[in-house]
Amino acid sequence: MNFNGTFTQVIDELVQQVMPSLVVVRGRRFGAGAGIAWDANGLILTNNHVVGRHSPIVLLQDDREYDSKLVARDPDVDLALLSIDATDLTPLRPASVSPRVGEMVFAFGHPWGQRNTVTRGIVSALVYAQNRRGEKLPIVRSDASLAPGNSGGPLVNAKCEVIGINAMIVGGDQSVSIAASVATDFVRKAIAKSALSAKTPHPTPNDVI
Amino acid sequence: MSKTVLVELSDALADAAELAGQSTVLVNARRRMPASGIIFAPDLVLTAEHIIEKDEDITVVLADGTEVAAKVAGRDAGSDLAVLKLERAAGTVAEVTKNPARLGQIALALARPSREGIEASLGTVSAIGGPVQTRRGGMLERYYRTDSISYPGFSGGPLVAADGTILGLNTSGLSNGAAITIPADFAWSTAEILARHGQIKRGYLGIRSQTVDLPAASQDALQRKQAAGLLIMSVEKNSPASKGGLIVGDILVAVAGSPIFHHDELFARLNGDVVGKATPIEILRGGQPQTMNIVIGERE
Repeated sequence: MNFNGTFTQVIDELVQQVMPSLVVVRGRRFGAGAGIAWDANGLILTNNHVVGRHSPIVLLQDDREYDSKLVARDPDVDLALLSIDATDLTPLRPASVSPRVGEMVFAFGHPWGQRNTVTRGIVSALVYAQNRRGEKLPIVRSDASLAPGNSGGPLVNAKCEVIGINAMIVGGDQSVSIAASVATDFVRKAIAKSALSAKTPHPTPNDVI
Repeated sequence: MSKTVLVELSDALADAAELAGQSTVLVNARRRMPASGIIFAPDLVLTAEHIIEKDEDITVVLADGTEVAAKVAGRDAGSDLAVLKLERAAGTVAEVTKNPARLGQIALALARPSREGIEASLGTVSAIGGPVQTRRGGMLERYYRTDSISYPGFSGGPLVAADGTILGLNTSGLSNGAAITIPADFAWSTAEILARHGQIKRGYLGIRSQTVDLPAASQDALQRKQAAGLLIMSVEKNSPASKGGLIVGDILVAVAGSPIFHHDELFARLNGDVVGKATPIEILRGGQPQTMNIVIGERE
């Protein structure tokens, strides 16, 4: 076994690594939720239900505040992609392999408005929830405690990789997160779509054959 | 990247869940949601008694998703344990821990409440208690409490140590819906009796008693330190006690060589093997020890 420092140190390092990527997403009319810096150039991932009717305000860890632009939203996976005018964000990396039942997880967010909270648990179950389109949505259930305000925040594994986006869409007494695979898929499609619509009205010279 | 101690622990927990998950099955024996069970012999599943609400059409879903028909081989409401016999041998037999649970050790509550796979919750062993009389008329010599969350369908599933071996069977049927864990040694020995005889025999003596302190002189006469015994307040007519010669005023101090301080211990001692057999009962009569062989009756 290769120990890199003590247990407490390792957990502290993990928390320090995640925190810069954790943002507050404040709706214009509703309460606040959490969000994740998804790339360095201003993409913020959060829950659709956190966003509300207008583009929300995004608050970074260093207290910089941004008006965001809504890039894409999908109520059926409860995800929304925002963009802010920043180029120095610290993004989190999605896990490259599927989560396993029993592995340790840490949920980050702002439950009941308490900023920058960490709760610990394990992956309790890997199941599917059905959305309104009747599609099966992969869900990570955990025994880490979540509350309103955790929505949109990351669920990370022991390697500091995102394995889910915390959400409270299916109720029940277990904490649920939307699987990271759904999130990466959503972001990929959203970016492709916005690139396409950006191209159509203002074709750049490169596009002209 | 080298593995941190956190990743090691996380991997170990996931490995433990996967290993024990091989012998954790879904038990379909009630109208509401299914519960869980543990494969303790190739064709036998140990589960919680209270989740069996029907005698027919019981099925068990194994780790690989196959569904096997099962019949009740034995059940005991007192300890909330039941054994199901599978139509065919199947699955991986669970490995029981060699060491009893320790206060503070981490443990996983594991279950298979749906066909979607195993479910787990992490906790620590937060109390080791007993003996206690269960609300359903049984006796638990020992039980564990953990701070893991017992989700619906977790009854009958195992409490798993970090190495994947099984510490006991979780049930919410013994203490007002709160989950406790029946230690594996007791659960497994009960399961063997249930598999063979279909039920646990509970002994009957036919006395009412009260705990009394034993004076120093009585302890000298017993030639051992025993602070208390059971003063017999009444003896029922035609009961094993009256046939065996016990009378009001005797102080019962031991059954089959085990000292008895309290009614709960007498209750525990009268279960199982002693039923129907002549059993040495030690009493103090007039301050002098005396042993009489009494055939223990069976309680209906």
